[in-house]
Amino acid sequence: MKALLAFRSLFLSQVRGFTLALILSLVTLAAGIALLGTSGWFITAAALTTAGLAFNLFVPSSLVRGFSFIRILARYGERLSGHDATLRLLSGLRGWLFARLFPRLPLADRSLRHGDLVSRLTSDVDALDTAFLVAIGPIAAALVIGAALTALLAWLLPGAAWLYGFCYGVAVLVVPTGLVLTSRAAGNAVVQRAADARAAVLDGIEGHADLTVFGVLGTAQSGFAATSRHLAAVRGRLSTLTAIAGFAVQALAALALAGSLWLGLSAFAAGAIDGPVLAGLLLAIAGSFEATSTIVRSVGKLTTAMAAAERLTAIAEAPPAIVDPATPAALPADTTLALTGVTFGYGGPPVLDNLDLAVAIGEHIAITGPSGSGKSSLLALLLRLADPQSGRITLGGTALPTLRQADIHASVALLSQHSPLFNDTIRANLRIARPDADDDALWAALAAAGIGDFVRALPAGLDTMVGEGGRTVSVGQARRLCLARVLLSPAKILLLDEPTAALDRPAEVAFFETLHQAAQDRTVIVVTHAAIPDGTMDRVLTLRNGALTS
Amino acid sequence: MTDTDRHNAKTLSSLRQHGGPWLWLSILAPLTAGALLVWQAWTLAAVLGSAIETGAALDTLTPGIALILALLLARAALAAIGDRAGTAAAEAIKAQLRATLFSHLLARSPRAAEQPQSGAASAAIVDQVEALDGFFAHYLPAMIQAAVLPIAFGAIILPLDWLAGLLFLVTAPLIPVFMALAGWGAQIATDRQARALSLLTGRFADRLRGLVTLKLFGRAEAETAGIVAASDELRRRTLRVLRIAFLSSAVLEFFAALGVAGIALYVGLTFIDYLHLRASPLTLELGLFLLLMAPEVYNPLRLLAAHYHDRAAAKSAIGEIEAQLGKLPEAPAPLADIKPMPGTGPIGLTATGLTLRTPDAARVILANADLTIAPGDHVALLGPSGIGKSTLLEAVARLRIHEGEIALDRRPLADWPEAELRARVTMLGQKPRIFAGSIAHNIALARPGASTSDIRHAAERAHVAPFADALPDGLDTILGEGGLGLSGGQAQRIALARIYLRDAGLILLDEPTAHLDAELEQAVLDDLKSYARGRTLVIATHSLAVAARMGRAWRIAGEALLPTPLPARKGKGVA
Repeated sequence: MKALLAFRSLFLSQVRGFTLALILSLVTLAAGIALLGTSGWFITAAALTTAGLAFNLFVPSSLVRGFSFIRILARYGERLSGHDATLRLLSGLRGWLFARLFPRLPLADRSLRHGDLVSRLTSDVDALDTAFLVAIGPIAAALVIGAALTALLAWLLPGAAWLYGFCYGVAVLVVPTGLVLTSRAAGNAVVQRAADARAAVLDGIEGHADLTVFGVLGTAQSGFAATSRHLAAVRGRLSTLTAIAGFAVQALAALALAGSLWLGLSAFAAGAIDGPVLAGLLLAIAGSFEATSTIVRSVGKLTTAMAAAERLTAIAEAPPAIVDPATPAALPADTTLALTGVTFGYGGPPVLDNLDLAVAIGEHIAITGPSGSGKSSLLALLLRLADPQSGRITLGGTALPTLRQADIHASVALLSQHSPLFNDTIRANLRIARPDADDDALWAALAAAGIGDFVRALPAGLDTMVGEGGRTVSVGQARRLCLARVLLSPAKILLLDEPTAALDRPAEVAFFETLHQAAQDRTVIVVTHAAIPDGTMDRVLTLRNGALTS
Repeated sequence: MTDTDRHNAKTLSSLRQHGGPWLWLSILAPLTAGALLVWQAWTLAAVLGSAIETGAALDTLTPGIALILALLLARAALAAIGDRAGTAAAEAIKAQLRATLFSHLLARSPRAAEQPQSGAASAAIVDQVEALDGFFAHYLPAMIQAAVLPIAFGAIILPLDWLAGLLFLVTAPLIPVFMALAGWGAQIATDRQARALSLLTGRFADRLRGLVTLKLFGRAEAETAGIVAASDELRRRTLRVLRIAFLSSAVLEFFAALGVAGIALYVGLTFIDYLHLRASPLTLELGLFLLLMAPEVYNPLRLLAAHYHDRAAAKSAIGEIEAQLGKLPEAPAPLADIKPMPGTGPIGLTATGLTLRTPDAARVILANADLTIAPGDHVALLGPSGIGKSTLLEAVARLRIHEGEIALDRRPLADWPEAELRARVTMLGQKPRIFAGSIAHNIALARPGASTSDIRHAAERAHVAPFADALPDGLDTILGEGGLGLSGGQAQRIALARIYLRDAGLILLDEPTAHLDAELEQAVLDDLKSYARGRTLVIATHSLAVAARMGRAWRIAGEALLPTPLPARKGKGVA
């Protein structure tokens, strides 16, 4: 519940729509109960009347028709306004989550699997989104209706008021609370198991070739079947609890109706109540439990929504590893980079140990070194994706932590080992680096990355879709498209992590030569295993045991 | 109703068989409860009528009141049982369908052009299948109730009061007609919405994969706005559906209210002698019974309306699943692990008149090419990146279709039984998948049930052990999906370790050392070469240092395969 409260401001933004939906749903329920009650009273009164033509026909018959039409219109309006507000909330929630996610990147929690993240974004947001429509709204409406009818009973049939109030209160408050408490674990498990199933499908597809080659499709299939059986089992457990709670609500309604009938007939025998009023009241009581019929399902949804809210807040409210300064320094025009005494590690022994490095404006340096020696970590520090445990990194003499991250990222562009292509056109993929780039700039960047001719030869040229994860192009071509994207960016400092990993030797040599020309007015830091062609780099440094040597 | 629509409905009902006895229970329990309802309404009307009209004493009414309570409780129990059984049936059907879809996905060729995007496939198998839940758990029982109960109630009432009976019998069957009229429009719109939802999920998956890249290019705000815009578009589509969908429930509400109001007025007017349509006089007992039954006649229809969208959603989901994954298969594809076979020596490889194309068939990679690799040879496959080295290896591993002939040990590739082929030929792709699980689990993928010491041994051979041992949990360290948290070189070495758990006669490796420094590359190659003694080894590479360690080299150039002299061995060479 606490996690759910974290979203109250988003809920409040749609408060008008939700209030309208709530009022209309109350009108719908009240009209339904009034219709039954009035009808019961009317026919009983008519049956008892002896002077037929003296009976006032007009009032009850118009009430009956009026309640009917109010109910029809209110129902339609309630559903439409409720859904509209809900869907508005949905886009708000999605935007909110994205806005929360970006400052928290890269996520510290490594177990946050990709499929899991997708699940959080879609299912959890959906579950949270419908919380009002299917959970909070019906419970609130049932409470109001129950209170109103209890008050009416207290006036007309005081003996039954306490019994009805008690049964209704237990049905609307106690049973749902009990269900929430008992089904929490099952609700959490459902979300978790669904995420597992999603991750298993992703593993199956992305690892399809590996699974086929190793002849372990059987293991993959039985693993997935087990995952989906687990999902079915936890949903079944949730359903058992829901069915029990549903029985409890119905049993309470039965008790209220039978009890009121008995008490009402006692009162009737004692002459404390009219026959027609009693008939009307009993029909109204029977009708009032219409409001509780959906409550159990509502609670199921509420539990799911609370589990979703917890997961969403867990990811969205985690403190960002890197925070912008309150009063950021202006971005210096000078793009000199300097690291002094930088020590950095992931909890174990330091990867970078008291490292010093100065890179002048426009200097091109290469960093080589054994795998895992911390070259990629060094690049991450320059982008302030992480902060060193000690030491100082400056850009143009200004310490990185005093600058806005957006300013740092505008000056420093990265081609990482995992740089992805998006399922979009080549043009859109490139423009991520510079949204206003014209086609000439795109072609220049493609040429510099050595892939201009390839793209020119494609039937759709820049409008070619590259497919998910760049599937329709080879790994080498995807890599070059990513490189073109980095070259297109207006950043003055380029960080390239293994830019030639997928290139053959002639292409690799050509790349270094092109880079030398194409990035003449920019600072370049290349992390590479390749042999550097002579004259293409100003300096070549080796990172070993946490320190740089030339 | 369109053909697709009819096809989807048919597919849906063919899934029913997997629900088993649970499905029957979920249908029969509410029908029984409906029968008890008539009894209960009659008893309630009798108790009230005799008390109010004839002034019966309270103690003579007590058994009736007790019976009402018992009937109410029995109905509550039947409702709970039906509800639970419906879920059990739906879960059984969904689990079966998921297993079927997933197995057929795996049964296809991994590089087939029609293989879906991973985001779309997981949306189909997990989310779209979930969308079938309501159809089996709620819609199906509700549909049977709606078809049976109103007519049954009408038939019971008809001999008691012909006019009320006729009113029920005429209006109740009319309602579904009106609802269907209103529902058609909703169905078309729902189809469109399911597609939009699927696209949106695909977009999320795609953007999430590159979220850090988007952040670094300063696209955080633009992408956030993009997601909001896409969601807003979805809202507009959905509302268009709902405006029509809710109309069908308004029609129902109209008839239900009309029924109650009509009965109330008819009974009331008969009592005050305004109407004379009955042969016998009407008792209060019967009047109350008719009024109590009036809402109940329409209730099954109201229940059906509440779950009407479940059917539309399920049909759309079926359509979307078939759009993404192809026609729904009947049963899971039989998939079994292939046991490694004891080594029977190295395998020779020949290709004659081989033609390869990109998956979309747009580009020719090899045309009429020939290749001969003798058993036990260690061969480098050279060529500029993007020229098709990976495609060739995948074709040899029978992951891609080809024209012309590829033969292993002089036997055409197509004639190799799958079990023998996989047992004898192994491959490491350029982008090996690191699965969610521990390092050891990832290595043992190549041989489920491998012993800890075998895994350890493979990890040492592939040079995984040095970096794994530095981690707190060693080989049991859990890796994130997609191998996040590993460097490219580390992920590649974990995948390489898998090869050492196989006992293959032909080993195909695609750039196995691309992310390694020269020193480690040589060390990895030392172990690889000593393992591959007595086996055929083909390495696609652009590293001359790797090529120099092999016995022979072939080059892809101008859509042809040519034998090429080996580069001299001299560290990380320059061409």
